Amino acid sequence: MRAPNEIDFWRGFALVTIFVNHIPGLYFERFTFRNVSLSDSAELFVFLAGWAMRKLVDGPAGALPAKWLILRLESRAFQIYTAQLVVTELAIAMLAAAAFYLDAPFLLDWHNASAVFNSPVEAHIGLVLLSHQLGYFNILPLYVVLIFIGPAVALLHRAKAPLLLAVSVLVYAAALVFGLNLPTWPVEGSWFFNPLAWQIIFVLGFLLAGEDGPGRFVRRHSLPLRWLALPVAVLGAAVGMTNFSPDPLFVPEPKLFFTFSKTFLSPARLVHCLALAMLFAGSFKMIAYWTPRPSGYLCLLGRNSLVVFCVLSLLSLCGQIFRYVYGESIVTDALIVILGILLLGMAAWLAEWRDRMRMELAKQPLSL
Amino acid sequence: MARQNAYGIGKAAALALAAGWVSIACPLAQEAEAPGAAPPLSPPCDVPGQDIAAPATLPNLASALQKGEKARILAIGSSSTLGNGASSASMSYPSQLETILEHALKGADIVIVNRGVPGEIAETTAERIRNEVALRKPDLVLWQLGTNDALARIPLPEFEDTVRSTIRWLKENQIDVVLVGVQYTTRLVRDANYLAIRESLQKIAAEEKILYVRRYDAMRFIAQRRANLQLLAGDNFHLNDLGYHCMAEHVAHALIVSLFAKRAKPAQN
Repeated sequence: MRAPNEIDFWRGFALVTIFVNHIPGLYFERFTFRNVSLSDSAELFVFLAGWAMRKLVDGPAGALPAKWLILRLESRAFQIYTAQLVVTELAIAMLAAAAFYLDAPFLLDWHNASAVFNSPVEAHIGLVLLSHQLGYFNILPLYVVLIFIGPAVALLHRAKAPLLLAVSVLVYAAALVFGLNLPTWPVEGSWFFNPLAWQIIFVLGFLLAGEDGPGRFVRRHSLPLRWLALPVAVLGAAVGMTNFSPDPLFVPEPKLFFTFSKTFLSPARLVHCLALAMLFAGSFKMIAYWTPRPSGYLCLLGRNSLVVFCVLSLLSLCGQIFRYVYGESIVTDALIVILGILLLGMAAWLAEWRDRMRMELAKQPLSL
Repeated sequence: MARQNAYGIGKAAALALAAGWVSIACPLAQEAEAPGAAPPLSPPCDVPGQDIAAPATLPNLASALQKGEKARILAIGSSSTLGNGASSASMSYPSQLETILEHALKGADIVIVNRGVPGEIAETTAERIRNEVALRKPDLVLWQLGTNDALARIPLPEFEDTVRSTIRWLKENQIDVVLVGVQYTTRLVRDANYLAIRESLQKIAAEEKILYVRRYDAMRFIAQRRANLQLLAGDNFHLNDLGYHCMAEHVAHALIVSLFAKRAKPAQN
């Protein structure tokens, strides 16, 4: 397994934060960084996804011809897609079981699940098409779309690097100007994480991870950029603490450029996330030096991000059901968090153990 | 268009309401002569006015109607907004409300967008409200809420903070907001969180001087006085077609009384 590194560490950090944030009302939610930040772990997670893809494309997959690169990335997209389907189905079954055993039919409504029970024909088509998403289970569909377009991102960058940022900005701007988003169905609405907008942070992660282009520019000017990032991070902290949100009536058109929309990843959130990345980039060495074990644990989670994400989604739902049954209390909330983080670690360890076993078995001569 | 439902009250009730409300609606253009007069409700849904809502001002909706502009209403919330338990989407309360309002307010162009997402807590809806407002700029937001926060055991101060900050933000943006409260169901009458959320909504509405539709009180009145009438679906939680029809009538009643209250007193919820 790869050594602890910065990307895995921050990905692990984002995963733990998402787990806590996905249990609404949890006492410890107030200690997550979104309370002192305009952007939150979702932005960080997607930014790091773009970053990780660049490392793959420049590293192990660097020499691959286009068709094999496409195959490599699309197979990853398909893996995430199947993970989304399985996790969603498990969540639906958990809600159904809870509703059944607790005689609480209202649990079938949770997180927009009710269409599956009331309109199963349409809802199952929607689940497969990702147009029907459960609340709190809506990050992976975005991730699927982003990895699905990954080959286009990588190949466009290979062919004409400057064009990638131009196309990405254009799509992002069009989404904000015209309010473009993918529709949901059968429940009428639109995606909570708009891929047309969120692709920008994925592409920026991809570009900034490189040693050339924007990545080189940022590394060369890291000191002045950090000074610029500092007031942005402070302002973002003030927004997070005060819950300030601009009034659409008083901002010019196109309004989505000036509001703090999460769905459309308004520029303020985007810039704030980049500022945080600028400020904290390189801090891993110091963090790992002072807190080696927690850092190693977060790296373990980050190395196995898909498995951990799937498990945390289901564990957070367990936590919600538990809180419905037993009510809110700091003690039980603490238990949920501790047990949850331990189980995430166990899931990550199991995934690595399985990989190690597979590699060792592959070295053995075939025997009956 | 009014739609016939299983109880045979759809069109008939809408027309009866319309007949009653036209007399109230007409003065809108002629400077209200009988402000605050309660429109008649259909027999199954009839409840005392105080069990529906206390009037509150709706300046932005009234302004859009008086100018003859299209009145844009955003109905947002959870399963009771989407219409879970109804026989079809057209029986959801926003669909029926649009029909009732257009019959009652002759000549008014009213468009209600339904953005119900089942099982959603107020915090997530609040995030969607900000997006919808930026995209659609409604004149009125009908925010149905409370049940899921109670079931998810959201701490009351956190819930109140979310609701208050969203109401204030909407007011600053010159958008009227109406809170549509939790339903009455025997399943949850002893749930302390549920009752606390219900009281909290009343308190917030009174303090923020906004319209609050007391769905719980209205449904309880019907359940106690007309025990043979079933407002809930088979799960004894979601509303059925009649339940949604009554909900639409009650919201319409609250809106119209508020629209025609000449100088609406602050809501005494």
